[in-house]
Amino acid sequence: MPISESSDLVMIDRRVTLKWLMGAMAAGQLAACGDGAKGVTWAEMEAIKAKGYGTDPDFNNTVAPWPLTMTQAELVAASSLADIILPAEGDYPAPSKLGVPAFINEWVSAPYPDQHKDRVLIINGLAWLDQESRARSGAIFASADTAAQKALLDEIAYKDRVKPGLEKPAEFFSRFRSITLGAYYTTPEGWTEIGYVGNQPGTGDYPGPTPEAAAHIKAVIEGMGLKYTAP
Amino acid sequence: MTPDEPHDAVVVGSGAGGAMAAWVLTRAGASVLMLEAGRDYSPDESPMLNMAMDAPLRGVGTPDKRFGYYDATVDGGWDMPGEPYTMAEGSEFMWWRSRMLGGRTNHWARNSFRMGPYDFKPRTRDGLGVDWPVTYDDMAPWYDKTEKLVGVYGSNDGLENHPNSGPGVLQTPPKFRVWETFLKAGGDAINIPVVAARRAILTKQIDERSPCYWASACGRGCSIGAAFQTTTSLIPWAKTTGKLTIATGAMVYEVILDATGKATGVRYIDKATGSHKEAKGRVVVVAASTGETARILLNSKPNGRSEGLANSSGQVGRNLMDTVGSNISAYFPQLEGRPRYNEDGAMGLHAYIPFWDYKRIQSGEVDTPRGYHVEIGGSFGDPGMGVGSGLDGYGSSLRADVKRRYGSRIGFTQRGEMIPNANSYCSIDTETKDKFGIPVLKFNFAWSDNELKQVKHFQTSMKELIDKLGGTLVSEPDEPAKAISKGGEIIHEVGTCRMGSDARDSVTNQFGKTWDVDNLYLTDGSVFASKAHKNPTITIMALAMRSADNIATRLRTGEL
Repeated sequence: MPISESSDLVMIDRRVTLKWLMGAMAAGQLAACGDGAKGVTWAEMEAIKAKGYGTDPDFNNTVAPWPLTMTQAELVAASSLADIILPAEGDYPAPSKLGVPAFINEWVSAPYPDQHKDRVLIINGLAWLDQESRARSGAIFASADTAAQKALLDEIAYKDRVKPGLEKPAEFFSRFRSITLGAYYTTPEGWTEIGYVGNQPGTGDYPGPTPEAAAHIKAVIEGMGLKYTAP
Repeated sequence: MTPDEPHDAVVVGSGAGGAMAAWVLTRAGASVLMLEAGRDYSPDESPMLNMAMDAPLRGVGTPDKRFGYYDATVDGGWDMPGEPYTMAEGSEFMWWRSRMLGGRTNHWARNSFRMGPYDFKPRTRDGLGVDWPVTYDDMAPWYDKTEKLVGVYGSNDGLENHPNSGPGVLQTPPKFRVWETFLKAGGDAINIPVVAARRAILTKQIDERSPCYWASACGRGCSIGAAFQTTTSLIPWAKTTGKLTIATGAMVYEVILDATGKATGVRYIDKATGSHKEAKGRVVVVAASTGETARILLNSKPNGRSEGLANSSGQVGRNLMDTVGSNISAYFPQLEGRPRYNEDGAMGLHAYIPFWDYKRIQSGEVDTPRGYHVEIGGSFGDPGMGVGSGLDGYGSSLRADVKRRYGSRIGFTQRGEMIPNANSYCSIDTETKDKFGIPVLKFNFAWSDNELKQVKHFQTSMKELIDKLGGTLVSEPDEPAKAISKGGEIIHEVGTCRMGSDARDSVTNQFGKTWDVDNLYLTDGSVFASKAHKNPTITIMALAMRSADNIATRLRTGEL
């Protein structure tokens, strides 16, 4: 799965990311040419020809240069789906309030191979969601009632409980969820919720764990019968 | 001076090897012309604190920027339009180029592990590969000087084949973070060492460079100078001598010899105008990178000799090596829900696992002849686009899962030694030229059983460590042949012009001086006789400093 250049694992070695990307790509290819005898299958789409940001982008103007391609209907479905995946809770807004649907539009419209694979899944997946919803309840996904929406998602959202034949929609859901979570938790609101308190320059020595964090890990380590060494 | 005037030395390349040579030579009073194929660059351009959120696609890697939108590499990568390379059938190799002032030093991980006594005499130890023409004792003072100059944090742990630095050389390493302390507890229980890493990052101010301020991914380039790169250190220092001339956009393709067999300079394409130019010097130093240096020599055909320049041994392009890489990652339930604090730290390794199993290699209990180290990554970092990986379902339980699992995953990355083999080399592909009309490199590459066994050792050992700490693998690792990195993928390629003590089976002597041309020196990774598991940059710089010192002496005495 593509992960951000600043994500945790990548800090040691961003080649790990590429390894994962290659794995994800290989998995995608397998799924696309699997037998899928009676299951839902989707046609390949034409690759986007727009220009990328190039090898030497201007960091003072970081707008993605490619045209956005999602239709209004697709954005409505994407917004609704993202908000069910991560419903607003307490101080934490729904994804649609943090620009996640617009980010998904930027993502699937990008002229790069990984994003193209996601585009095939997501554009087809959103259409499938509306079509399936209409067939079941007469309304597009965004307009269906909550119970109907959940009944539909329950068939594709849990990796061990995918309804036979819906492997492709489940693959769509998994990627959509992953992109939604990534987009959400890279915002200041997402950072606050998850507890990321970095990207703050400091002076002097690196302070290390807080007393609370150190006491916690000491208890964990000693609880496992292992020896704790203070940092 | 201008690039058109003759200089004392022409240095090809501005990365670790080229910039070190240029600094030593200018400091000794020599005039130096540095030729760099890429554009001028200063880390003042670095997007130090920019958020992923403000970058296209949240900053993930794309074919335009492989290591992410904010990565310092402004022109380069494994695939460059108009600058291809080819591979022999059945071979896969990834050749990274970094076309910019400072080269790869602008974005490297800054991991700086010096080689040890076993590493310089591998053949003596196990009969494989070749020995270096220098011993660890020869190199120790040069490592000390280099580490002190560069600024390396770390600790002296007195471990086998992981030598201590001299007194007062290392800077204080940053404290372990919670997950590193956790790993150490597991490692201590099963005798796998977890010790302070060594990285070229300042924790105390030296000269005009500030210490690390505990934020900003080092790969973006470091405008405060804490993370070492030649564009904030060696190159500006060399400039202050008034002796350095830099020509960027200068794509060197050939070394020029006179009738007596001495090098008189190099030919290059000025990318801005497309014109072919000559740069003249009393000594020529090539540090264009392991692949590019071999390419320049092989494309230089003095008197029409087809084997290329400085190649009477036939070893130019041979002995191509890269680091052995593979990965395992695991979730640790014991790390779930732990108290939050700022774990950015030095944005990379505070701790690592050095190789520990030398005794069992010697006794024959372990069947892989050479070692590796393990780079570890966890932390409460910017959650990034991978935050949802491994999660299931939707709704408020998913929200809770994201928070619970944040910071509980640790990645283990193997970095191991490759032994040179006859199937791994580069040569000139006479059929293919790049956009400049320069014949390109063709790669042959194959791992041997030695490397695959090493991957197995890594997998077994890390599973034992993960198990000891109650972790669960994210996924079962592939078998070694599938789990191992592709050649070149780790971007540690070395060895194509190896140094040695005999002109018959090596390209240069112990000072990087080519046996065939008395005033032609190589000071990059191409001269490595072996590829220890230790990341090569600090050794490239120590060797380059030693070689340049030799050149400076010979320039002063009029020998050159």
